[in-house]
Amino acid sequence: MFEALAGTILAGIVAIGLALAGVLVILIWKKDRTRKLSYLRLFIQLVSLVGIFYSFTLALWLSVFFLVILGVTFFSGRFFCGWVCPFGFYMDLIALLRKKLGVRYRILPDRLNRALNKLRYVIAAVILAAPLFIGALTITPASQVQVLFLSGPFRPIAIMLSPLEPIVVPFTGAIANLGFIPWSLSYPYARDIMVYVNIPLVMEAIIYVFVALTLVGTFLFRRVWCRFCPTGISIAAANRFKNLKWMPLLHISKVEEKCTKCGICKRVCPVQVTEVYEQKGGDIKTSVCLNCMRCVEMCPYEGCLKMNVAGRTIFQSRNWLEPSNNE
Amino acid sequence: MPTTAGIDMGIQTVKVVILKDGAVAARAKAASGFEPAKAAEQAFDEALKSAKIPKEQVTQILATGSGMDMAPNSNGNVSMMGADAKAGVYLFPTARTIVDVGAEEARAVKCDERGIMIDFVVNERCAAGAGTFIEAMARALEVKLEDMGPLSLKAERASPINASCVIFGESDVVSLIHRQESKPEIARAVFDAMADRVSSMVHRLGINLDVIVVGGVAKDIGFIESLKRKLGVNLLVPEYPEYVGALGAALTAAGRVKG
Amino acid sequence: MKSETAEKKYMPEMPKREIEELNSTVKSASAKIIADNIARMRKTDPNRPSGMQYFDEVSDFFGQRQKEIQEEKTKGKKVIGYFCVFAPVELILAADAIPVRVNSGWYDTSKLGDRIVPVEVCPVIRSTIGAKMIGLSPYLELSDAVITTLTCDGMTKLSEILSDAMPIWTMTPPRVKDSPQSLQLWKEEIKSIKTQIEKLTGNKITAKKLKEAIETMQKASKAFRRLQDLRKGNTVIMGRDAMLVNQTAMWDDIKRWTKKTEALCDELEKRIQQKLWACSPDTPRVIITGTPMFWPDNWKLPTLIEEATPQGVLVGDELCSSDRVLYDPVGIDEWTMDDMINGIAERYLMASTCPCFTSKDGNEDRINWLLNKVKEYKAQGVIYYVVRGCILYAMEYSRVKKALDKLNIPVYYLDTEYTREDVGQMKTRVEAFLEMLTARVDF
Repeated sequence: MFEALAGTILAGIVAIGLALAGVLVILIWKKDRTRKLSYLRLFIQLVSLVGIFYSFTLALWLSVFFLVILGVTFFSGRFFCGWVCPFGFYMDLIALLRKKLGVRYRILPDRLNRALNKLRYVIAAVILAAPLFIGALTITPASQVQVLFLSGPFRPIAIMLSPLEPIVVPFTGAIANLGFIPWSLSYPYARDIMVYVNIPLVMEAIIYVFVALTLVGTFLFRRVWCRFCPTGISIAAANRFKNLKWMPLLHISKVEEKCTKCGICKRVCPVQVTEVYEQKGGDIKTSVCLNCMRCVEMCPYEGCLKMNVAGRTIFQSRNWLEPSNNE
Repeated sequence: MPTTAGIDMGIQTVKVVILKDGAVAARAKAASGFEPAKAAEQAFDEALKSAKIPKEQVTQILATGSGMDMAPNSNGNVSMMGADAKAGVYLFPTARTIVDVGAEEARAVKCDERGIMIDFVVNERCAAGAGTFIEAMARALEVKLEDMGPLSLKAERASPINASCVIFGESDVVSLIHRQESKPEIARAVFDAMADRVSSMVHRLGINLDVIVVGGVAKDIGFIESLKRKLGVNLLVPEYPEYVGALGAALTAAGRVKG
Repeated sequence: MKSETAEKKYMPEMPKREIEELNSTVKSASAKIIADNIARMRKTDPNRPSGMQYFDEVSDFFGQRQKEIQEEKTKGKKVIGYFCVFAPVELILAADAIPVRVNSGWYDTSKLGDRIVPVEVCPVIRSTIGAKMIGLSPYLELSDAVITTLTCDGMTKLSEILSDAMPIWTMTPPRVKDSPQSLQLWKEEIKSIKTQIEKLTGNKITAKKLKEAIETMQKASKAFRRLQDLRKGNTVIMGRDAMLVNQTAMWDDIKRWTKKTEALCDELEKRIQQKLWACSPDTPRVIITGTPMFWPDNWKLPTLIEEATPQGVLVGDELCSSDRVLYDPVGIDEWTMDDMINGIAERYLMASTCPCFTSKDGNEDRINWLLNKVKEYKAQGVIYYVVRGCILYAMEYSRVKKALDKLNIPVYYLDTEYTREDVGQMKTRVEAFLEMLTARVDF
């Protein structure tokens, strides 16, 4: 009964949320209020979180999710990371809290940041390969085959989807149960740690340390996890190869002539991407970029940075000092 | 085709050209002196008489030259560069770069096949790239101005002279003569120095063939030879080079009457 | 504070009477020139916007604004002058001090400067020295300290020379923008200037006050850009008038200036609707780029352009004394003190198009800005204006010419001095250039 009711409410919230989001998109596009983009993004992140929670209640097969995400990044780069990912949403909420408290953010030295970006591939490889080695010690050959197909008890696919973990999950057994309803508190990667580390106290310690590290890290460095998140490796990185240059279709694009190197784009980027500042015009193709569009929002020069989908400009940076009506 | 006139109010001489039926009907000049307007009137009347045209038949008069604002009864002005370009192409349809060396200033103009200016450059800093230099050096050598050219052609080489400034150039001559440098060689050095300055100015502009040289100094064969050597291209010189400005003004006037 | 009795390194001892005589002669000549320039601007455009009245008044150096600043000083406020547009005006405002730009635009005082430095030195520098010698510039005299930015050789030595007479705070910009240490160096310079401003004024620059100051300047930028945008289409305001508005921003009370500029823009928008143009729409459109030109004397070139036959109109410029002054706002992400200091440091360093920078891509910032300006304002020709002695601008000419040749826009190199004697020569050049532009359009 509870589940059915919750299910209907959630479905309703998602539907209304998406409709409102659509209205906001149109408003921003028509009234050219690019500067309000961040609000739209937070709203969409919230709607996505609810939607993902809802999909957890339907107990969909998580592999489908994985494929969907991979497919989306095929065409949209890391748009998912900037606009949908719940872990990203939590980090953005913490950023809001930090701004409210008036605490300044820190930046990592550029070289360290780039090294971390390369680390993504290593982490992803380790995560996908680990089950094979651990599995060899503890499970049957049949399970080993299962692992090769990325399923079975060690959940290699599931761990890649861990950033999607809502703070509250619609089943018990995560970090802490919520007595009165059959839900429990959770956190990205918490359940994966529970699978790999079976020793009771050590397991909890590791989970809490991880939560603390990521929360503090985000408080200090903005989107810290995104810089080496294995889920964010994204097929968008593949477009470095010649034949795959045409994808993804969603890009931030820069008009070099209008750029006056004021540096605002570099400073507001939550993952410290410097390519937008340094590149001499054209599409920004780095796979670190989350497509959060903060740089486009804050660039004060009309038409310098644009969000392009399949070559068409959806919106562009505005002279946010608002010129006269007569242009 | 209308009958028009062009008045070139030069610093030393005023030149007038009357254009009738698309061809030059008369040329006249007078020394500017202290009353350039009067000299202009004089030259204009002289030209009218020589062309046997009554004053009223001239439909448009345009002035050019550094004193263009002082021209009497003109219908407007045209810049020296514009006039040069127009006249250059009229005289030599293949002309694309016009080098105008006058008494006090040198300039170069690039144009297209219709005689429209594309770019220009002026040598304003230094009189050693203009006619006054030759006059000063002719005085120092005690040679007649019109003999400087033929004299320089006799030399095989140029004497080393201090060509940084007209003032120093003059006093240089005395020491050069003491050193047994011959007059032809000194004369050639004078023209080489001038050609040096003019050619570096032309290089700033860039050369489009064909190049024509106009202005009073173009009459001087010594200068033309030196400039030919420095620029490394063949140079065309019209028959009455000092009238080119006035001709250009007259041609522009004809164009304005039509359009 | 520099002691008056310390031995002067450069400035000569001049008899008081001579100083007073020169001061009064040049002052009355200057007053005449200011009046003359304004009269000529009124003549060129008889229908001049009424909003210009305010700016005409502020343009008088010896008038109301000077008295205002003097009054503020008696109430305890400090005046901080600056030379180049690298000085962080927001910090000065946040400390409740008055910022004024003190570059000298007087021709006559450059001859006085010749007594101390050779004539080959930039005339703006010589003119400033001369103005200091006879105490001519009201804003320079009223300054309690002056910020100099060591952008070029002239500025570098000027700091020493002027330190004979008043406290000079130097800021060293890096000559290369792109390396990581450049921004680091510049940030330190900004922080040290902040400390000096706080010490002089006795006011602490808090985050709240700095936020207000930044927002004030952002609003000023908004009005500034609005005015420039209105010059993109058919001419509704003559170039000299717009240049005067731009210049007055450098010494006027910025909040009042913003209000008056917005009012002027409202008036201009109405005129655009009524199609009330300041000059015929087929007047050749010219952009000037090069060494900055300062009011009142160095109005020579814009005057020639707009009074020539054929008439030209100045639709914009790339001058750090005019269309560049308030163009770039400081962009702030989160209003913490650190973010604001970062923002100020980046804006004043990175957005600058001064040729004092060098880079592999050849000061692309300036080229891009200029090309963009030429395209957006539909300029037909560019005059590259350089004063004799300005090496940096002179050397970038070839770079600019090549870039503009690709767009098929004619560029004319015009070099001149702080003198009235070459007006005749300049007139022939400018008129030939404008004639060329007209001919290109006709065909």
